[in-house]
Amino acid sequence: MSSPLATEILRAELANGLGIVLHPDPRLPLVALNLWYHVGSKNERPGRTGLAHLFEHMLFQGSEHVDTNGHFRHLQGVGGVANGSTWYDRTNYYETVPSSRLDLALWLESDRMGFLLPALTQGKLDNQREVVLNERRQRVDNQPYAKPYERLFELLLPAEHPYQWPVIGRAEDIAAATLQEVRDFFAAWYRPANAVLTLAGDFAPEHALERIEHWFGGLPGGPVPPRRHWPLPPLEGPIRATVEDEVQLPRVYCAFRTPAFGSAPWFAGALLTAALADGKTSPLYRDLVWDRQLAQEAGAYLYPTEEIGVLVAWATARPGVELERLTEALWGHLERAAAPPSSGDLRRALHNTLAALWSELESLDERADRLSMYATLCARPELAWSEADRYRALTPESIAEFGALHLRRQHGVELAVVPRSAPR
Amino acid sequence: MSSTVDRSRPPSGEPARRGAFPPFTRERLESGLEVLVCAGSAVPTVHLMLLLDAGGAWNPIDRPGLATLTGALVDEGTRNRSGPEIAAELEQLGAVLSVRSDWDVCQLEIHALAGDLETALRVLAELAAEASFPEAELERLRQQTLTEIRRRRDRPALLADLALLRELYAGTPYGDLGSGSEAALRAVARDEIVAFYESHFAAPRRSLILTGDLDVPRARELAAAALPAAGAELPPAPEVVPPRRPRPRVRIVDLPHAAQTELRLGHVGIARRHPDRARFGLLNALLGGKFTSRLNLNLRERHGYTYGVTSRLADRRSAGPFVVSAAVANESVGAAARETVGELRRLREERVTESELAESRDYLIGVFPFTLQRAAGIAARLADLAAFDLPSDHFDSTLREIAATSAEDLLEVARRHLRPDDLALTAAGPAAQIAPQLQGLGELEVVDPDGLDRA
Repeated sequence: MSSPLATEILRAELANGLGIVLHPDPRLPLVALNLWYHVGSKNERPGRTGLAHLFEHMLFQGSEHVDTNGHFRHLQGVGGVANGSTWYDRTNYYETVPSSRLDLALWLESDRMGFLLPALTQGKLDNQREVVLNERRQRVDNQPYAKPYERLFELLLPAEHPYQWPVIGRAEDIAAATLQEVRDFFAAWYRPANAVLTLAGDFAPEHALERIEHWFGGLPGGPVPPRRHWPLPPLEGPIRATVEDEVQLPRVYCAFRTPAFGSAPWFAGALLTAALADGKTSPLYRDLVWDRQLAQEAGAYLYPTEEIGVLVAWATARPGVELERLTEALWGHLERAAAPPSSGDLRRALHNTLAALWSELESLDERADRLSMYATLCARPELAWSEADRYRALTPESIAEFGALHLRRQHGVELAVVPRSAPR
Repeated sequence: MSSTVDRSRPPSGEPARRGAFPPFTRERLESGLEVLVCAGSAVPTVHLMLLLDAGGAWNPIDRPGLATLTGALVDEGTRNRSGPEIAAELEQLGAVLSVRSDWDVCQLEIHALAGDLETALRVLAELAAEASFPEAELERLRQQTLTEIRRRRDRPALLADLALLRELYAGTPYGDLGSGSEAALRAVARDEIVAFYESHFAAPRRSLILTGDLDVPRARELAAAALPAAGAELPPAPEVVPPRRPRPRVRIVDLPHAAQTELRLGHVGIARRHPDRARFGLLNALLGGKFTSRLNLNLRERHGYTYGVTSRLADRRSAGPFVVSAAVANESVGAAARETVGELRRLREERVTESELAESRDYLIGVFPFTLQRAAGIAARLADLAAFDLPSDHFDSTLREIAATSAEDLLEVARRHLRPDDLALTAAGPAAQIAPQLQGLGELEVVDPDGLDRA
């Protein structure tokens, strides 16, 4: 069973370069539309961070033929849901609508792809700047451990590497962004040839293609700025740092650079991460939380990012437990990852990873997003189906190799977050 | 640009095909067990949910958190197996178990590959009948929960929520976040947990929901065999009667260094089975239940006070809280609170426009199938029927009722159920900066986060 969704994917490309992926599935009277623009916070520069995300907000402020908030009003008025998100490598926009209203969604997305600038005003920018500054306060400044987490990436990467700054940007940069910069950002990146449009759900492919051509076909093509790569001198570690935060319990983070998403080792790393930390019987939880009771919680995550991957493992100390002791226990697990996982850990990791994958493919909107992702980052949307086979094909040795190569102290960052020592 | 493209107005389309709820079977067996089954899935997984009358509404008043702690312990050891053995069996299969105690029911859920339906059912039955509550696991979870209670001070949103619930429901089980208080967690004894489990988890009225990639007749057979008749009838939980609040009060949880203020305004709403519930839901969508709601367009899009504001009615068997929530810039707390009160008043004073009504109505109707994409989503809808004893055609009739609601109806519903002059207001943020802004909105009281837990 390589994919439970046997329906084939249709691919097309418009003359202006817009990539198209279609996956018909008529079970519900819905269609999910997902548009990935291959631009994210990595295409910003130091001093102007947060522009990609601020720009995402501006894309909901109307375009030449759609008034302010018209995007949401039109979609919600027919029972649609819509949103967008910004990430290091991409910005996505998506809506799920009753299938009879596909045309409405295409009209809205094509209008903001082709006709945004006439509607972009200083007043809208000023309003959304305040909204985004509040978003940053809500998601970062007022959340425990969130500011130290930004520090982790500053330590792991050189100053010029674009994963060094947070996707949402730094507050002072958000405050400084100008209307001209927002316009320039749009002109450079929001082009058909830099985007993939995916539809999943209840539609006839020939009809959908005809409607896509109708709405998007006339938008001008044009070159996309060349892809850049950032040199990455090896990390001379181990790097250790301590920061204070408004928290009750100390926490340790260990972070490593890894191969990028899409590469064979990345999938080995994903399975290693699941073997290490996914579930109550994972070594990390079982040992640190259940048996030795050193940690209140523990986990690990591998970033699916395009330039490089980043693996972060963390554990929060229970009251009365020295953070140093917990840190050494966490390192013990990371170092043991250089040996092949037990067959039980591997089976658990594989089955949990597959179950999570099915769950993503089950809903139209997440399925469409995955298809866009594979089309954008790997130029092959069908990898969304065969991802399961890539995990199944991994051997314990290939997983151990990832651990041995990438989870080494001398190439890692260890960041301790401790409760603020004295009241400010 | 191609000259044939007319972009000047939105393309028309057929009205949305009304997404009927997928067919399902529902029956109550002689044992008292209600079985709901809905087959169909794009992927080879099944979702199982067992609902037991074991929610927080049954907590003795000096034992907030008892239901949640009991639920959290059912997979930490059974008559024949340890917690790690249970977890290992499920995790080896890629099955995910979760236990959630809300105010009315405890929900045991397993999401599993389709081939593991029988195993998953066996585990659910084991957790519902054979939990053994080992002392060591109880002590570990007790300490973990106490630590989480202490960590609430890291989370301004939780502090603001808790302060509001304390204000609205003091002296009742609803005056709590569900996880309990420090005093109750320290005091609760194993005997109390075992007694709660024996009377609630074994009571015959319970519901099993099976959805996803399965065969209906076989699923029904397996369900009946897995969960035979059990213990004694359980009387319903006493109705939660909120205390009278003589005058509006503003409670500030003082966080001197907070970068933002978590603001809540609310009052006691209506129960899940109230005849106005569907129309109240429509009113709420228009007020604060979607992106283009009046509150969000005002506080976010017009004023930039917040990243987002929502209003929500919590569905419970007794009347749950109706709450407006926003994280607001510290300098805008007073203005955001006054705009919120103004929006509530406006709904009681003037009829909503036809276009606003149509947008909210068509949104709720059109968005309904969106929640049915996953087996887990369908199970959650069926759980709503089971937990609140709603008729099987409830969703279809609710959609019809929403479609038939007029602006006049909404005005009446607003006048009956919105009480802008009786709102409790809580704010977790820097008191020195926000207290002056909240003058005039009620009797002001400032507490520190620890004071909140003692209250």
